[in-house]
Amino acid sequence: MESLLEQSSLILQQLVNGITLGGVYALIAVGYTMVYGVIQLINFAHGEIYMLGAFLTFTMVTTLHLPFFVAILLTIMLCACFGIILDFVAYRPLRKAPRLAALITAIGMSLFLQNLALLIWGSQIKSYPREVLPAIFSKAAFSLGDVFISWIQVFILSVTVIAMFMLHIIIHKTKVGTAMRAVSQDKTTAALMGIAVNRVISFTFAIGSAMGAMAGIMVGLYYNAIFPHMGYMAGVKAFAAAVLGGIGSVPGAMLGGGVLGIAEVLGAGYLSSEYRDGISYAVMILVILFKPAGLIGKPLTEKV
Amino acid sequence: MKRIFCLMLALTMIAGIAWAETITIPVASPYTGQLASFGEGVKNGALLKAEEINAAGGINGKQLEISLEDELCDPKEAATVATKIANNPKIGIVVGHLCSSATLAALPIYRDAKLPAITPASTNVSIGKMSPYYFRDVYRDDFQGLFLAQYAHQIKGYKKVAVFYEVNDYSMGLMLAFMKEAKKLGIKILGTEAYTSDTSDFKPQLTKFKMMKPDAIFIPGYAPQGTLIVSQAVGLGLKTEFFGADGLDDDLMTKNPDAEGLFVTTPFLPDKAGPEAESFIKAYNKKHGKDPNWFAANTYDAVGIAAQAIEHVGLDREKIRNYLASIDSKEKAYVGVTGKTYFDENGDCLKSAFIKVIKDGKWVGAEKQLR
Repeated sequence: MESLLEQSSLILQQLVNGITLGGVYALIAVGYTMVYGVIQLINFAHGEIYMLGAFLTFTMVTTLHLPFFVAILLTIMLCACFGIILDFVAYRPLRKAPRLAALITAIGMSLFLQNLALLIWGSQIKSYPREVLPAIFSKAAFSLGDVFISWIQVFILSVTVIAMFMLHIIIHKTKVGTAMRAVSQDKTTAALMGIAVNRVISFTFAIGSAMGAMAGIMVGLYYNAIFPHMGYMAGVKAFAAAVLGGIGSVPGAMLGGGVLGIAEVLGAGYLSSEYRDGISYAVMILVILFKPAGLIGKPLTEKV
Repeated sequence: MKRIFCLMLALTMIAGIAWAETITIPVASPYTGQLASFGEGVKNGALLKAEEINAAGGINGKQLEISLEDELCDPKEAATVATKIANNPKIGIVVGHLCSSATLAALPIYRDAKLPAITPASTNVSIGKMSPYYFRDVYRDDFQGLFLAQYAHQIKGYKKVAVFYEVNDYSMGLMLAFMKEAKKLGIKILGTEAYTSDTSDFKPQLTKFKMMKPDAIFIPGYAPQGTLIVSQAVGLGLKTEFFGADGLDDDLMTKNPDAEGLFVTTPFLPDKAGPEAESFIKAYNKKHGKDPNWFAANTYDAVGIAAQAIEHVGLDREKIRNYLASIDSKEKAYVGVTGKTYFDENGDCLKSAFIKVIKDGKWVGAEKQLR
């Protein structure tokens, strides 16, 4: 009986771990999927925006001694600007070029930003000293028997849910959201209808990057490990999540993030921690094999 | 044009003369990347030894120059660096590498080039057996694992231990050695879990450990991950003790208040070192304002051994190898700051280990040592 209780609290704790991780993946995946939906570009530099988010907050809090929540807001705004600049510098000049060219530029920007971070912050893992963080973060929020949920986990989940909800409102209830949907369906027609296509694309980059930055800030706090290459792994995972959910679909990215996070944690917890990443990618491949458009993606029909 | 040509000629001649008068020993280690702080010890130790040798007149009148070769503890980078070193005919011996996985990647390259190498820090068991050209002035992991298991059993009295290892040659070799001895001593191994160096999420594995209720968790990995593991365990409400090996011996661990009480093995302890280490510790302190760590001490000695070999037999690779192989008994041993170094038929050596523990945010030698 007791072992049954232990087993169930083990599963519950793993689910909590998995959902937190999944929430983070979902936030990053949304950035991939939005940009893809609008300009059919896989923005490989998105993971680096996430990394910059983590580093900027870290620097503002530890070196500039800004209050914590001010630093978070500033970072999100800065990263949104970075997203716009990224599009302006690297992708806009190639809008009419073959898609492969923009993809290569995206990879180039990713490497550039990674190495820039290496130059600025060095290669060692950075951690927040305990005294600069709000005390509440290191405390457990509540525990059900053996299941521990920390405030930072609660924080991550609530931020994710609120951000997703706001994103939904923006896309479906606002003018700019309508414009985004129009551009994603047909750029030329949208332009003919009087939509400033480039401005809508900039807005998409800003929103996506802000989401990525939020994820970076929270991961920096959650694991307390910030390093220049953190964006690479997270970016690849989130990209997998976006594909798993159906690239181009925002609810798909959320679902994909959740599925991937939980699969990864349960795989590490129950199958083999040595093949943890392999397990999560295997889940993605299996889904894609049976549903090539992803969980929620619309099947693509080739126009003749 | 002519003037530029003359200038270049003159420069090459000056460079040539300068080259002829120095002897270069490459020291390969991570100097950037996650393990850069290990590399700092390596660098400080190597440069201090070279400075002292040069102040005393160099090697047979020639100045010794250390070239620091960065390989990030990455096997792929290590192979590149090793190829570069091995192809340089002016190199007679190399000191390095630090991580066992990097050493094992460089090993076949040095072996094929018949270039002798001495590692100050790689403890994986198989290194010595795989190449007659590889030597080390540090103990092996079969000894370190055995030592840790005995300490855990005799001094700490642990009955149930879980092992959390990184997927690399050092960590996995050490885990096997520890478990072999632990089982003999009757310590129950509750479970083993793995992680890779590019992850910072250890919660799924730690959650599993939590249900096993171990007396302690053994982390045979490196400090950048070690400090995260300890903190995340506390965050999950996992109440247990932690211990590791020489890979956790870094100031990164002492900065983490959750790591209080953690103990590790180390090949060198300033307050337990012999009288021959006194002047080294003093000189190091004067220069860097802190005690040398084991990476500094072992590299200091490794460079000393390499320099002594060149002094005796010149830069011929085969002769240097034979010279090192001839240091095979206590009487012929190289006496350095880490004690006496002499090699067995595999190029391995017997060295003692010490236990140090984090107390009030500082590394201190454990009160009870295994003797």
